[in-house]
Amino acid sequence: MSLVSKAITWSRIKSPWILHFNTGACNACDIEILAALTPRFDLERFGILLRSTPRHADVLVCSGPVTRQARERLIRIYEQLPEPKFVVSVGSCSCSGGVFNGCYNMMGGVNEVIPVSAFIPGCPARPEALIDGVVKLLGSLQATK
Amino acid sequence: MAKEEEIRESLTKQFGALEGKIRIQRARRMWAEVEPSDFETVLDYLRKSQGFVILCTMTGLDKGENLGIIYHLAREDGIMLNVEVTVPKTNPVIKTVTAVFPGADHYERELVDLLGFKIEGLAPGFRYPLTDDWPEGQYPLRKDWKLDPSLKTGKIEES
Amino acid sequence: MGKVFIPIGPQHPALKEPASFRILLEGEKVIEANVRLGYNHRGVEKACEERSYLQDMYLLERVCGICSHSHSTCFIQAVEEVAGLEIPPRANYIRTVVAELERIHSHLLWLGVAGHEVGFDSLFMYVWRDREIVMDLLAKISGNRVNYGMNTIGGVRRDISPGLYPEILKAMDVLEERTKYYIQIATGEMSFIKRLSNVGRLSKEDVETMCIVGPTGRASGVPRDVRRDDPYAAYGDLSFKVITDDHCDVYGRAVVRVLELMEAYSMVRQLIKNMPEGPIVVKAPRKIPAGEAVSRYEAPRGEDVHYVRSNGTEKPERVKVRAPTLANLQAMKKMLENYYLADIPIVIAAIDPCFSCTDRTIEVNRLEKGTTELMSWDALRAYSIDWYARQGIQLKGIRL
Repeated sequence: MSLVSKAITWSRIKSPWILHFNTGACNACDIEILAALTPRFDLERFGILLRSTPRHADVLVCSGPVTRQARERLIRIYEQLPEPKFVVSVGSCSCSGGVFNGCYNMMGGVNEVIPVSAFIPGCPARPEALIDGVVKLLGSLQATK
Repeated sequence: MAKEEEIRESLTKQFGALEGKIRIQRARRMWAEVEPSDFETVLDYLRKSQGFVILCTMTGLDKGENLGIIYHLAREDGIMLNVEVTVPKTNPVIKTVTAVFPGADHYERELVDLLGFKIEGLAPGFRYPLTDDWPEGQYPLRKDWKLDPSLKTGKIEES
Repeated sequence: MGKVFIPIGPQHPALKEPASFRILLEGEKVIEANVRLGYNHRGVEKACEERSYLQDMYLLERVCGICSHSHSTCFIQAVEEVAGLEIPPRANYIRTVVAELERIHSHLLWLGVAGHEVGFDSLFMYVWRDREIVMDLLAKISGNRVNYGMNTIGGVRRDISPGLYPEILKAMDVLEERTKYYIQIATGEMSFIKRLSNVGRLSKEDVETMCIVGPTGRASGVPRDVRRDDPYAAYGDLSFKVITDDHCDVYGRAVVRVLELMEAYSMVRQLIKNMPEGPIVVKAPRKIPAGEAVSRYEAPRGEDVHYVRSNGTEKPERVKVRAPTLANLQAMKKMLENYYLADIPIVIAAIDPCFSCTDRTIEVNRLEKGTTELMSWDALRAYSIDWYARQGIQLKGIRL
């Protein structure tokens, strides 16, 4: 790998910028994601920054089962993320549909719509589980470097 | 229970058709069945003379041959009167209450989308809660409705 | 000045819930606001008809992650009324303790989010750090930080052991002191007050006509609170004040919520001191006899209404959930119109919207040469903070 691409990969691993999108969740996972950014759990010490637009983000953090209405938006946002991109699905609902599996407005988990790199289960996923999942994802990026 | 009895008495005195149709389940919970044609006058009386100024919500029901709506009305002292109106499934038309309860807008849209009611006088606007591309004639909350597998769609492949 | 259409899409990192509001602007003023919800519609009511009552309780808990206990208790109360069950007093007290702890965590959450929306990030971080005290308490009582699973038909599943009482009381003392500090800030910091005052006004008549619920309505001087008007669980035994305020704007809503926090601390203390002995659950039948019931509950955001109709089988005939935010939606239209674009984030945050309770997204249209702009929520928030900074109201530099 050339020096430039090594530098780019290194900066992605050391400081992934995330975009959070709620595709129809009950909010519990979203609040836990926010709580992970607060002083007690502090995701920012890993260099993780919460961004506002898909064009600046490396990792798309999804919570919630995908509703019909949110499906189009999710695909559009996924396409707006620049390569290489990773998707983390937080909570049982985005992993598999959770308790809402089979409901008429649900498409299922996030991986029914876009490819997912990391699954973090839990209802809701505790902030500690979130940190664990994120560190594992960073570790796997390191391995494929 | 004294207040609830009083309310029942005044209602039956005012509207003879309600005789025997008002039930007191427990303290602060009353139920009544009203014909669709009488509903507007009864609602007016309840709001103006009996203090039922709060509309908590509206529930739509699928009762087999008919569709029902329950208007959950409440007073400031906590007494609730749940008024049930039944219309035939072949002609589920009711009048809007948004003129007196502006907050009923979303409740009525929900009835239109999920049970197939037709509400006269409802202002045009976005539908709620179903998607813009939901097919016509599919009312999820009806008992005989089954999810059509074609409503589920596919995924983006890994690039 | 011309008008422009700007759609603010459903993806907004700050608010965590997708909803679409379409706003028509003329220059800086909002002329018309329309709400398009539906992103969170999960078909819960239909799903309830296909599951047993106990399964429904777990499903309804997940309607909203912030007021999960509210939905579960409200539903269970309706089922218990239909089944004709009498709940042991200790179970009622435990339900009320968890309910008030939930109110505390929810109002602290709101305070942090409100700070975040106006650019006061230090307040956000401080308050959420204090919120962790309550989350730990809830985890000790129920085993989970959110979605407690405390209820079952006929009572509660877990007891609060007397060993926990001193810890709960101590936590209330710590939080009360911290909340007093936040009250000081809320009433002392001029820039914070200026951001929140005279924004999102709702008169008393508006609240009564549109049947607004919760702190949003109480901030306009309308003293409606289900805990006092239609007591349930252990609220009949408690002495507490219904907090109202006369400001009628976002500042009033902040004041109401913070004072409700103080009331909640006092209520938890009363409950722990007077906790009755006895069983925590009565046996409930699997098949609930035919009947119907309506249950009302004062969730942190307002009045939650559940309607249950049973037909004598194991599964309910109809379950209807009306979450508090849906009742406040018409008010949102009224509050946004004739105000500035820069006020939108805090006005919407002030009703403490829980769109997942409601299922609920902002598209701003500037009618100027018919152009369309896409603005994310975060960009709108940044815009509003910047706009107010130019007027001389800057909150970023406030040191706590």
